[in-house]
Amino acid sequence: MALLQLRGLNKHFGGLHVTNQVNLSFETGEIHCLIGPNGAGKSTLFRLILGEYAPGSGEIFFAGEDITTLKSFARIARGLSVKFQVPGVFKGLSVRQNLEIALQRTRHGAELDREIDRLLAFLGLEAEQKQTAGNLSHGQKQWLEIGMATSLRPRMLLLDEPTAGMSPEETFQTGEMVKRLNAEGMTVLAIEHDMAFVRQVAQRVTVLHLGQVFAQGSIDDIVADERVAAIYLGQAHHHA
Amino acid sequence: MNGLISLFRRLEGPQTKGRGLLFWSVFMVALIGAIAYPMFSDGYTVGNTAYFFVWVFIALSLCLIWGYGGALSFGQTAFFGIAGYSYGILTLNFGAAYGFTLVAVLAAVAIAAVVALLLGYFMFFGRIEGVFLGIVTLAVTLMLERFMAQTAGPDWRIGAARLNGFNGMSGMPPITIPWFDGPIVLFADVGLYYLILALVVVVYLGLRILVNSSFGNVIVAIRENPERAEMLGYDIRKYQLINFVIGAGLAGLSGVLYTAWGQYITPSSMGMTSAALPLIWVAVGGRSDLTSTLVGTLVVLAGFQALTIYGSQYALVVMGLLLVLTVLIAPNGLVLGAMNVIGRLVARAKGGRN
Amino acid sequence: MDIATFAFAALYQFADAFAFLVLSACGLAVIFGMMGVINLAHGEFIMCGAYVTATAVHAGLPLPLAILAGALVSAVVGMLVEFVVVRHLYERPLDTIVATWGLSLIATQGTLIVIGSTMAGVGTPFGSFQVGAYSYSIYRIVLFLAALGVLGSLYALFNWTSFGVKARATIQVPHMADALGVDTRWIYSLTFACGAGLAGLAGGLYAPTMTLVPTMGATFLMEAFVTVVIGGADVFLGTAPAAAVLAVVKSVMTSWQGQLFGQIGLLVAVIIVVRVLPKGISGFLLRERT
Repeated sequence: MALLQLRGLNKHFGGLHVTNQVNLSFETGEIHCLIGPNGAGKSTLFRLILGEYAPGSGEIFFAGEDITTLKSFARIARGLSVKFQVPGVFKGLSVRQNLEIALQRTRHGAELDREIDRLLAFLGLEAEQKQTAGNLSHGQKQWLEIGMATSLRPRMLLLDEPTAGMSPEETFQTGEMVKRLNAEGMTVLAIEHDMAFVRQVAQRVTVLHLGQVFAQGSIDDIVADERVAAIYLGQAHHHA
Repeated sequence: MNGLISLFRRLEGPQTKGRGLLFWSVFMVALIGAIAYPMFSDGYTVGNTAYFFVWVFIALSLCLIWGYGGALSFGQTAFFGIAGYSYGILTLNFGAAYGFTLVAVLAAVAIAAVVALLLGYFMFFGRIEGVFLGIVTLAVTLMLERFMAQTAGPDWRIGAARLNGFNGMSGMPPITIPWFDGPIVLFADVGLYYLILALVVVVYLGLRILVNSSFGNVIVAIRENPERAEMLGYDIRKYQLINFVIGAGLAGLSGVLYTAWGQYITPSSMGMTSAALPLIWVAVGGRSDLTSTLVGTLVVLAGFQALTIYGSQYALVVMGLLLVLTVLIAPNGLVLGAMNVIGRLVARAKGGRN
Repeated sequence: MDIATFAFAALYQFADAFAFLVLSACGLAVIFGMMGVINLAHGEFIMCGAYVTATAVHAGLPLPLAILAGALVSAVVGMLVEFVVVRHLYERPLDTIVATWGLSLIATQGTLIVIGSTMAGVGTPFGSFQVGAYSYSIYRIVLFLAALGVLGSLYALFNWTSFGVKARATIQVPHMADALGVDTRWIYSLTFACGAGLAGLAGGLYAPTMTLVPTMGATFLMEAFVTVVIGGADVFLGTAPAAAVLAVVKSVMTSWQGQLFGQIGLLVAVIIVVRVLPKGISGFLLRERT
């Protein structure tokens, strides 16, 4: 069953179509990766799903409900959650407090403390819990934010370049973390450039290009698709 | 009972400096000193000290909105003035009998809060932020000052209360508490001092609990990263609005007590200069901590008072310099900086003993 | 009153309000638009311009030259302020507001100490003319033309001169401008001086129409604020149309209920507009374009 459905989604800034008639459907329980060259409209699509932008036309359905006009926080309350591209932690607050703020909406008292401790262990940040989040390493910040996003127990987790700036080893660990969360029942949608990561986690891959769905399939289908290689090459050409 | 204990646990937390036996011992000593102080002084001096305490509420309100919430509100003096004038209008019309002044205090604070609710709705639900918030609130304040300054004519009256334009309103009754053998009138001396001191303690402790509660967590989260806070499922506009209204109520409390203390209020209490002063106290003290703000406000006010012997213009120039230098050199505030140093020293002493 | 004289009265009121809004705001808007900084000492730069203008007139300088002197002195003071204070706070725009407020306090009270509570003013030049039963000040028409002149010059400055092009590059991509060899510090410094100079010009232009007191800057401040809030970050797409819209509100309210209600009308308009257009008119226009 489709958990998230985008129907004919359009967003344009002036004459520029950033997303153009996007129809996409994400199934319950899958890990889905969104790839595409820079400017393909991936991040705009995320902002539309999260309600940070209002679409020019089209509809967004989540778990069968039309959420097109809902505010961001209301979408989160319905079971969406996100990890931003630039680590979005509360830099001036302690690691523990970051998690507390994420969790306190749904948990209270002793249960809240227990859950924070469990998450700290899960993220490997027990030793850093009293540190200010701004002092963490880049990779640790990424994990902390993933931890905050997942602590909401969302039905669907959106990850915008979760491994940006990570070492190959950290990237691999992040991939394993995503798979573990998925195994617990979380649907995952990730924007990612790192093909090793995509290969490690993705069950399905969608290629966006110029604001439109360009191709869709398994990672092997996509890699074998010459047209996909061509748009990436074209882009590389462009930049050179 | 359990609820009460968990409430008291919130007196300490990550959002407030000062914890443990040492801090609360110092707190108790300061409190006992403040309670005992009138026995060693005369009524006039005690009344002047009460005047210092009057300003604590507006300072704490700015600390809450700006320091904790990250929203720069220059409109605190507007709420101060609204509540002050409301108290005057109400008591001049209905008098002080049957404890009405107490009702007027509450009503005046409520009026300030309602105005804040309206203004805040347009601002926060319009999602204006940063510098714009500062200038919209300041524009409202300046407007109110101008409005009140031109109410000189005899037409400008609400019931029995003449607004009196630039000269302001005067002659309202002080706060009066009904009592068995005749009402207690709290003129600006010992009685009023104790009332205001009690309010300072209650508000200070109450705010400590508030900022360390889950509400306070969200408020500082919005200051740190509003987008992330919203994407954790919080309707940040609501939290900002509630925080703004609480702050306006506190600023209003200052306004009411100021009016009751001196039995007058003028439009200049909402002007540019008056609006700058709370900013100076809070910035110099340390805006992101209640205790630093409280201590900073009292210290700077005392310094200001000492300087006005040489003329209030000179004192204000020094205040301006103090503000500029604080922002340039110690942006977190002088008292907060000092408290951090003390905290480190205490920690080191403890570490040495173990 | 027949239609023609009524129309003239309305037009005159509008022009008067428009000139006041544009001249009050443009200095603030240039600094905010280019640097993202709100200069709360804006009113004191206006006061500075007015005081210098009056002093120069008393010293025997003709009024136009005296006004220019006022603008120039304000610009120099502005550059100094940028160098001593504002420069160190570009990373913290909110703190800039606070620091410039401190400067404003120092300037107002300092002037009070040094010069006293009032200063001898300057007479309004040109006299008046008659339309229908009412007489109008010619100088107000001059002020309106001056406002148009300022907008035109700013347009020319930022589009046709090398300073303007560099300044706009510096706002849009500071590190790129740096890499291209533009001295961004110098650009910021000049921009701040330009904003302060415009404030001084406003002070000089209005010096003949008002009493000169140390707190006179506050008279301009609210109008400057509301224009910038409604206008947003762009001087041409924001300040000018915002001033036009607000001038209509203000002149209608003023002729209906008087000066004060003109100002209240402004404020209410602003609070409603921020709810609808959070990024101001220029934000709205720019969103449609990009």
